[in-house]
Amino acid sequence: MDSDKINLELGCTTCTTQTTYSVPIGPVHPALKEPIQFTFRLSGERIVGVDIKPGYAHRGIEYMGMKRNLIQVLYLAERICGICSISHPLALTQAVENAAGIEVPPRAQYIRTIIGELERIHSHLLWAGVAAHELGFDTLLHLVWKVREKVMDLLEQLTGNRVDYAIPIYGGVRRDIPDEKAGLAYEALSYYKNLLQDMINAFLHDKSVAMRTSNVGVLTYDDAVALCAVGPTARASGVKKDVRQDMPYLAYADMDIRAITPEDYGKPVVGDVFDNIVVRLLEVDQSIKIIEYCLEHMPGGELTSIPKVAALLAVLKKADGEGIGRHEAPRGEVFHYIRLEAGVEAPVAWKVKAPTYSNLMSWVPKFMGDEIADIPIIAASIDPCMCCLDRATLVDQGGGEAVKLKEELVKLSREKTRRMCG
Amino acid sequence: MTVGIATAVWGGIVVLFGSGLLGLVYKGFDRKLAAHMQGRIGPPLRQPFYDVTKLMIKENIVPDHAVTWLFNGMPVVSLAAVATILFYLPLGGFAPLFSGYGDLILVLYLLAVPALAMIIGGFAAGSPYATVGAQREMVMLMSYEFPLAITLVSVAWRLATILPGAHTFSLAVIAAHPLWGMVGPLGVIGLVLLLISLLVVTPAELSKIPFDIPEAETEIAGGLLAEYSGRNLAMFYLADAVKMIVMSALVVALFIPYGIAAPLGLAGALGAFIDALFFLVKIFVVIFFTVIVVRVGFARLKVDQVARLFWLPMTAMALLGMIFLALDRIL
Amino acid sequence: MIFATLIKQLLHKPATNPFPVKYMPKSVTGLLGKVARGEARINPPVPVPTDLRGKLTYDRDKCIGCQLCIKVCPANVIMFKPDEKKIRIHVARCTFCHQCVDICPTGALGLSNEFLLADTDRFSPNLIVE
Repeated sequence: MDSDKINLELGCTTCTTQTTYSVPIGPVHPALKEPIQFTFRLSGERIVGVDIKPGYAHRGIEYMGMKRNLIQVLYLAERICGICSISHPLALTQAVENAAGIEVPPRAQYIRTIIGELERIHSHLLWAGVAAHELGFDTLLHLVWKVREKVMDLLEQLTGNRVDYAIPIYGGVRRDIPDEKAGLAYEALSYYKNLLQDMINAFLHDKSVAMRTSNVGVLTYDDAVALCAVGPTARASGVKKDVRQDMPYLAYADMDIRAITPEDYGKPVVGDVFDNIVVRLLEVDQSIKIIEYCLEHMPGGELTSIPKVAALLAVLKKADGEGIGRHEAPRGEVFHYIRLEAGVEAPVAWKVKAPTYSNLMSWVPKFMGDEIADIPIIAASIDPCMCCLDRATLVDQGGGEAVKLKEELVKLSREKTRRMCG
Repeated sequence: MTVGIATAVWGGIVVLFGSGLLGLVYKGFDRKLAAHMQGRIGPPLRQPFYDVTKLMIKENIVPDHAVTWLFNGMPVVSLAAVATILFYLPLGGFAPLFSGYGDLILVLYLLAVPALAMIIGGFAAGSPYATVGAQREMVMLMSYEFPLAITLVSVAWRLATILPGAHTFSLAVIAAHPLWGMVGPLGVIGLVLLLISLLVVTPAELSKIPFDIPEAETEIAGGLLAEYSGRNLAMFYLADAVKMIVMSALVVALFIPYGIAAPLGLAGALGAFIDALFFLVKIFVVIFFTVIVVRVGFARLKVDQVARLFWLPMTAMALLGMIFLALDRIL
Repeated sequence: MIFATLIKQLLHKPATNPFPVKYMPKSVTGLLGKVARGEARINPPVPVPTDLRGKLTYDRDKCIGCQLCIKVCPANVIMFKPDEKKIRIHVARCTFCHQCVDICPTGALGLSNEFLLADTDRFSPNLIVE
């Protein structure tokens, strides 16, 4: 951090007797798991303003993808985010299958769903642990992460990898779930079913957690709708929004999936951090039920419509068109756009919109009026993923202020799209 | 009651080094047991010694914006103040080293000095995190001092009514005359209330979770200590370790000053040794229940919640304890 | 309340698997030397599934030098040796997706469940398969 930012800027802002000062949080700070810069204006311990500056984790992944063939892109997409490491490939495979007109056999769709929901369990448990840590409750962190090991082990059993599962491929999946592995899955699910009530007790019935999270970081229903929040962040504010419910894909169409809001726990919707915990814990339960359904109703048949990878490469090279894929990642909707041209192995255009991108602005109403002590838990409450979020960087060779407003950004984006599409 | 210079010097050296060592050993236990409660293995017991040694040989960085002499001076003040308290506390079967030269009120003042030193050091560091931490420590200090003072004064006052003429503000006298057996049932209730309020004040005095808001790692990155490093940080670390001993020794002296040598019929050197061991066990028990279990069992509170907790329920509890002690005397 | 859990965990063995040893040794190389001489023991890691995607195996004789694996490898792990028409795999870069295993027409590439691959030298013999 540069030294003048550290300096206390005591100064009169509103020309009344009240003085505010600014405190930088980030780009590197214990409250943040990934780099992002907040500059808070504080009046005493109370937050009166916040400026958010992302852009520290941009890796140019989309550009890299446009230099590789689609199979290589798949593994690049997996590495957009280490926690949503199935969500991005699921969205990408759907986009490419949409563009190239590849069918996915039903069994593959069910296996994709199972892995996707297992990832939701692990992601929500991971989030719960992080949230507990931000509250200074490390015991809960260790308890939850100990419990999370079970789903990580199961994922390792099913896919061969603990993270970055490398399971979906265009047209299907790469590994089957045979009966003996399904047995392991049932065992893990019953483990979680037994533990879920303990976890709900540990989080929702703990006095000190309630003291720190109730009415903290409130995002009202109207704000959530207006700011286009997605995923658990929106659902905690009572917005019944879930890609699995609204536009069913994979195996979700066979089930009756309902967006979970705090009302399902029998409490009125407030939209605070407590509601975020409620929604995520209940979604773990929902995921358990989905996986059970999938395991029981798993159809037989092929794993992939194009088993030979070399043949798949040829099909993808011939494909021409554009496609979209969307998936309800643990943090909300992830959206991939891809454009293929016949004769070119690499995609001509690839756009990724991660859930944090949509949830970013909901931080502002959440922070306003709360205290410094609430910053870590509010920052964590949307389950941010900065490297998912950072999809653009501005290289300003002339120096000076590098802030672009909406109109200019739209203009720049259109120019770039035209450049890309020739 | 005069202390020979030689006794004072040698006793002082023994107490200083002993308490430093003991504080670090208890810190090791603290980390180990907390880890086990969380299902972890935790660091080896001697980790605090490694930490202090490592910090001692590390570079001592003073930020550009800091007021250097204050910034460097405060760790020394903090460590000196907690060490001084030890000279006024009865340790095990031994009378306080400076018995007769200072009493409970002095201890009360000295207990506030490390916190004040940290506040001044935090402001002198010139970083916003340290400033926020210092403000929080001030609010904390103002909150928990009141119940703490009520508890200490009530005990001494009640003892004065029982032993007229005795120097009841002296900790040696308090430790020699446990109140539990000398008051009626109402007095016992009062003492229990005072004990509870003192036990709740202990983690706040030591800045441990749920009251570690001045340091709050995830919020203000270490707060008061954010800019401290090397030798200065080692001194604060040692002061914290010794303060843990001091607070629990104070609880032991006020409320559980019993020894086991006399009931067991042991006397002389063996009795003193057994009593000293028993004293170590007693302060361990106090540390276990007020620091270790509490710090793994709660989330960190916010500064306004801490202030409200100490100003309303804890002060009320301490006052109620005092009233019960008074009623016990009147009836 | 959480306190029942705390006391339970205090009395039970911690969940952590103390791999490779419980505490940081004074000297890591010293410890490894002792292990080699049989004077010390390393705690085993958590067991892994048999079909773990670990270090790649390469059957040189089956390889026909078609270079399909090089084409799909997302991390450019595989190097072609034109004079021999064989490949060399730099495991240090491998992301363990095993797409090369799937595409290999002759089954020359395979998976093993070896995963302890930490090394200080990315060109150490342990990290090069050829």
